[in-house]
Amino acid sequence: MTQNLERYHRQMLLPGIGEEGQKKLLASKVLVLGCGALGTVIANMLARAGVGHLVIVDRDFIEITNLQRQVLFDESDVENAIPKAEAAKMKIAKINSQVAVDAIVDDVNHTNIEQLAQGCDVIVDGVDNFETRFVANDAAVKLGIPYIYGGAVGTVGMTYAILPHTPNGDSPWEQAGVATPCLRCIFEQAPPPGMNPTCDTAGVLGPAVSIISNFQVTETIKVLTGNFAAVRDKLLSIDIWENDVRQLKVARAYDVGECECCKKRNFEFIDGKFASSTTTLCGRNAVQMTQKLSDGEKLNFDAIAKRLESHGKVKANKFMLQAHITDNGDAYELTLFTDGRAIVKGTKQPTVAKSIYAKYVGA
Amino acid sequence: MIYFDNAATSFPKAPGVADAIARFIAEDAANPGRAGHRMAVRAEEMLDALRLKLARLFNVSKHNRIIFTLNGTDALNMGIKGLLGTSANDGHVPHVITTVLEHNSVSRPLQSLADRGVIELTRVECDDDGFVTPADIEAAIKPNTRLVIMTHASNVLGTVQDITAVGQLVRERDLLFFVDAAQTAGVVPIDIQAMNIDVLALPGHKSLLGPTGTGVLYVGERCPRPHLDHFNPWREGGTGGDSSTPTQPPIWPYYLEAGTPNTIGLAGLAAGVDYVIEQGIENICKHEQQMVAKIIDKFKNDERFTLYGTHDATKRVGTLSFNIAHYEPSDVGTILDDSFDIAVRPGLHCAPYTHKQIGTFPAGSIRISPGAFNTDEELDQLIDALDQIAG
Repeated sequence: MTQNLERYHRQMLLPGIGEEGQKKLLASKVLVLGCGALGTVIANMLARAGVGHLVIVDRDFIEITNLQRQVLFDESDVENAIPKAEAAKMKIAKINSQVAVDAIVDDVNHTNIEQLAQGCDVIVDGVDNFETRFVANDAAVKLGIPYIYGGAVGTVGMTYAILPHTPNGDSPWEQAGVATPCLRCIFEQAPPPGMNPTCDTAGVLGPAVSIISNFQVTETIKVLTGNFAAVRDKLLSIDIWENDVRQLKVARAYDVGECECCKKRNFEFIDGKFASSTTTLCGRNAVQMTQKLSDGEKLNFDAIAKRLESHGKVKANKFMLQAHITDNGDAYELTLFTDGRAIVKGTKQPTVAKSIYAKYVGA
Repeated sequence: MIYFDNAATSFPKAPGVADAIARFIAEDAANPGRAGHRMAVRAEEMLDALRLKLARLFNVSKHNRIIFTLNGTDALNMGIKGLLGTSANDGHVPHVITTVLEHNSVSRPLQSLADRGVIELTRVECDDDGFVTPADIEAAIKPNTRLVIMTHASNVLGTVQDITAVGQLVRERDLLFFVDAAQTAGVVPIDIQAMNIDVLALPGHKSLLGPTGTGVLYVGERCPRPHLDHFNPWREGGTGGDSSTPTQPPIWPYYLEAGTPNTIGLAGLAAGVDYVIEQGIENICKHEQQMVAKIIDKFKNDERFTLYGTHDATKRVGTLSFNIAHYEPSDVGTILDDSFDIAVRPGLHCAPYTHKQIGTFPAGSIRISPGAFNTDEELDQLIDALDQIAG
C-alpha cells in the first residue's frame, strides 16, 4: 500500500494508533447501518480517520428537518432529493478520496443483513428502530463481527460495544481476553411499537446525537486498531440536558443469562421470527405493515395519540387510531390497529411505509 | 378465526381432502403416464377417475376434454391464448366481447392481446343491480366477432349472470362461448350442453373445496383442433405417452397438459368434488344464499351501510360487497381481523372494471363470502361486529 499517510499525522501521534494502526484503519471495511443523525457523524469521522472502505446503507431521502443534525448534508441535497447514502458517498469523496464508499439505498432487514455484513470488520449502528438493531446484533454474533450499538432521542443517548462471543473463542478480542454480552443478553426483546419516543415525535438535540456517535466512532477505531482492552465494556447512557452520565455494568449478563442469540446461537431475528412484514394493499396507494407483538399485547392508543398530535389531526376509537402526517411535504395517513399493525396511506413503497412507521410510531 | 373469505379460496376444505392428500402422497405419488409400473398406473387412474367425475358434474360427454391446470388463472390463460393466439395475424383481427364484471385473470390477458393488436376488444357494462343484459352482448356483436367470454358470477357482487341466454344467442350466431366459473363451479349447477358453453375454466380450490394448485379447463369440440386449426398449447413439454412427436401430440387432454401434473392436489380435489356431489350443489348454494340474505336484510335500510348489487339473494352466490360510511374498506378489513378475528377481503378484488362501474374505484369495497361450512353463530358474530364498527 503506497498511500500517503501525511494527512493522518496527528492521529498517528497517538500511541494507541501509530503508523501501524493507521495502516490497519486503511485496510478496514466498516458497515454503517443508517445514514441519519448518527450515521452521518459516524461516516464523516470514520472517513476522516482513514477507514479505507465504508459500506453505507440507508433507505431514506434527505429532508429539510434532517439538516439540524445530519452533518454530511446541505440544502442543495434537500432540493435535489438525493438518497442519504448517495449524498454521503459524494460528500466523503470530497473529504477523503482515499476512502472507498459503497452507497446502498435499501432497507436493512433480516433478508439482507448477512450479505451486507459479510467481510466487514465492524458494524456500526445508526438505525432508527430496534427491530433492525436486533437483526444487526444477530448478524454480528453469527458472523463474529464487533457491533457498536448507539441511539439517541431527545437529549438522551446510549451506546455500547458488542465484542461477540464466538463458538471457538478464538476471535482477536477473545484472545485479548475481552468479549461482551450481546444486545439480546441485555434487552431480550425489542420494545413493542409505539412505546418509545422517536426523534420525529419527541424531538432530538443535535449534540446528543453527535456525542453518542463520536463515542461509537471511538470504539470502532479501538477495535479496528486492535486495542480491544481499551474498548468500554459498559453501557454508557448520557442525558446532556440533565448532565447525567451513567455507565451500566453489563458484563454479567452473558454469564447469568441464557441468551438465545449469543449463548444458544439461535438467530431468531435473522430467521425472521419477529420480522415486520409489509403488503402493498390492493386498490389503494397504501402499504400494510404487520408488527409482531407478544400474544395479547395491545397498542396504547392514548399515548401514541398524544405524541402524534403535534403533527396533525389524530382521531381514535377503540378499534383504530388515524393520524394525518406531513413528512417532507408529502401527506400520509397513518392508521394503527390494536395488534400493532398499521396501514400507511400515501405510498405504495414498503420502504417509505417502514420509514414513516419508524419515525412516527417507533419500533 | 371466523373465515368469510371463501370467494378467494374456500376454508376449511371438505372433510376427506386432507386425508386423500396424505394417502396419495404416502401410497400413490408416482408420475402418471410416464411409466407402466403399478404406482404410475394408479396415479393415472386417479386422474382419469377425477376427469370422469368432473365431466359428469358439468355434463361433458368426452372426459378427455377435461384438462387439469394449476388454478383458474392458468386455465383461463390456456383457453384465451389457446383460442386467440398471442401474436397479431396480418389482415384478420378477431373481435372479442367481454364484460366489466371480469376478474383480472380474464381482463388482463384480453387487454394485453388487444394492446398488441392480436384482438379487438369490447367490454359490455352491467346494470345497477350487477347484471349484464344479454341483449347488450348481442348488440356488441360485429362481423369479425369470434368469442364471447364472461364470468358466470361476479367475484365482487356475487351476481349470477344469465349465461344460458348468452350461450344461446352466441351459439345462434355461430360464435364461441367461454365461461369463467371461478365463483360458481361447485355452488351453481353448470351444464355445458344446455348452456352452450364451448370453453369453461375454473379453480379447484374454491367451491369445489379442493386444495390450491388445482384448476380445470374444459375445451369443447367446437373449438379449433390441435395442429389443424392452431389451438395453441399454453405450455409445451413432456406429456408421457407418445414422446416421439417433435411438438405436442394432438391428443386430448395431453395436448395441453405438458409437465408433471399436481397429482397430490388433484387427489385432494377428488375428495372435495365427492363431498360437493354428496351434499348437493343446490343445498350448498341455498346455505350460502341464506347467509347473504340475512346480512342484506340487516343492513339494506341502514344508512351507515352501502350494499352493492341486487338485494335478491336468490340471484347471487354467497358473496356480498359493501362499504361503511366514514371508513376505508381496508380499515374495516383490518379491524375485523384485529379486533374480532374475522377474515374478509377489502379492496378491488382483482376486478377494477367492476369497481369503476359501481363507483367504488380505487378504494374498493369490503367483501364477505360465506362458504359451505359457515355457521349461523359465525354469521351473527359478523353482523354484530359490523354493527359495532359502524358505530
